[in-house]
Amino acid sequence: MLAELAQQIINGLTIGGIYSLMALGLTVVYGILGIAHFAHGSFAMLGGYVIFFFFKKFGLSFFMATALAMPLGVVFGIMIERFAYRPVRDAPPINSFIIALGLTMIIEGANLLMFGADQIVIPTTYHGVINIGPVAIVELRLYVVITTIVLILAMTAFINRTSTGMAVRAVAQNRSAAILMGIDVNRIPMIIFAVSSALGIAAGAFVGSLFAISPGVGEGLVVKGFAVLILGGLGSIPGAIIGGIVLGVSETLAAGFISSSYKDVIAFLVMIFVMLFRPEGLLGRAQR
Amino acid sequence: MSTKGFRVASILFVLVIVLLTLPSMVKIPYYLHLTVLALIWVVVAQGQNLIQGYTGYVSIAQGGFMGIGAYCSALLSVKLGWTVWLTLSLSPILTGIFAILVGYPSLRVKGHYFAIVTLAFNMVIYIVLFNFRTLTGGEAGFTDIPRPGEFAVGAFNFSSLPSYYYLAVAAAITATVFCWLLVHSRVGRNLIAIRQNEALAEAIGIATWRYKLFSFVASASLAGFAGGLYAHFIRFINPDTFTVAQSLNAILAVILGGSGTLTGPIVGSFVVVFLPEYLRIADFFRLIVYGFILILATIFMPRGIVSVVGKLARWPTRSR
Repeated sequence: MLAELAQQIINGLTIGGIYSLMALGLTVVYGILGIAHFAHGSFAMLGGYVIFFFFKKFGLSFFMATALAMPLGVVFGIMIERFAYRPVRDAPPINSFIIALGLTMIIEGANLLMFGADQIVIPTTYHGVINIGPVAIVELRLYVVITTIVLILAMTAFINRTSTGMAVRAVAQNRSAAILMGIDVNRIPMIIFAVSSALGIAAGAFVGSLFAISPGVGEGLVVKGFAVLILGGLGSIPGAIIGGIVLGVSETLAAGFISSSYKDVIAFLVMIFVMLFRPEGLLGRAQR
Repeated sequence: MSTKGFRVASILFVLVIVLLTLPSMVKIPYYLHLTVLALIWVVVAQGQNLIQGYTGYVSIAQGGFMGIGAYCSALLSVKLGWTVWLTLSLSPILTGIFAILVGYPSLRVKGHYFAIVTLAFNMVIYIVLFNFRTLTGGEAGFTDIPRPGEFAVGAFNFSSLPSYYYLAVAAAITATVFCWLLVHSRVGRNLIAIRQNEALAEAIGIATWRYKLFSFVASASLAGFAGGLYAHFIRFINPDTFTVAQSLNAILAVILGGSGTLTGPIVGSFVVVFLPEYLRIADFFRLIVYGFILILATIFMPRGIVSVVGKLARWPTRSR
């Protein structure tokens, strides 16, 4: 029983890490630009497909292919910002949400057109199992967790330690003051989408190698990402990390001990429960 | 009669003639089928417009509420053998009761939070419909849902396509008139006040909480009613019809048509039903083309089709 609990928590941490990656991409976009980037899930799936393609066509190893796909994601992310979101920057927030829906359709359609409707799993060579007492960890899961932690650290370092990161935080705090300080506010959204998209691609790679990618997976993933945002507090980076882990662990525990078909219901009930008592999220600031 | 009154009267007159004679003019049954679907969508979109367009709260649960209405009405008529007219009229009431339970926690939060919480509720509804096999039949859904056939009014037997068309017309008109009355009442003005400035509305003594819940429940009831109409029209339902994608479609109908107007949702409903059908020519590119149309429409006509048409109609008189 205890061993099973430990095993489930370890599994939950892996999934939670992926949710955190998803949510980080969403939370920087939401927190700084106020855009609910609904296409993020489909975009992550596109990343998974591209990595699968790299593997098939050029025989690249999993991490090599991921490292190549992330810069591609950066380019696409910048294009999305420039051509889809920027034209509605000053319109009501619902307009950018509709744009996100349109983008979701385009990306889902493109995925279907280029890679077909079949379910795919990105093959890797990390099948070993590491035993710690009664708990077994698949090698791949371990690497995914380590990479996730590295990516999260890299991103927080970028936001907190670099001058570009400081500019990003300045725009998030006070846009007009940031303009007065000479920050190029047209560049900031591009940087944010670049970072967010790269993280999304990584999340897609992990989902594709640990689970599977097929049409429609992206939508479920982005909804989980938003659920994490609500749990942790919209726009909060530590909130996204903690929220992702809470959601991942509670979901696997629910699947393991209650019912696997209702695991998502339980995950959403946790979210709704948190909201009833802390509408601003676990780590969020009070709403203005 | 003033020119404006005359214009409105003549438009209404033409509209009534077109609506009444449409089944005999449309020779291809498939188009009539689509028209019925579009009319059912008018009911959904008018509801979505109440909460989104007038109250300013974007709910992403309309698809789920349609599912509640559809399954309630279908289950009551199939399992308990109740007459379809009764189950159809119960569907908005039962959905409304459920919506109170959803609205209570959801309306504690605002803006994007609210949108995402309602979206989560839609997913919960879908998962329950999918997994509660003993009651809902799971993924396979269930078939042979009766049409409201035994109730024949004169020459109309409501089991045929043209007569179901008239039922759908009646439903769409009822929903539109309901929204018209609501919007032009005190309640409607309070809803608009909430959209424009909720803090101010509360400060001048409007019980915003009660009005928001009312608007949410009314919109859900309309969606539930439309779900019932859909179930007895298609005669087959499964959970896939009531996903988040359907809720997004309701939002699109309102936005594309023109949110916060009464004609917008009507135009938008026909667009979201017919446009994807015409894009079938594009086959594999359909989703992509639809996405591009959506993005371009949002960028270049953010106030919807109705506003663009309105501008074009006024253009010749103004240029003179």
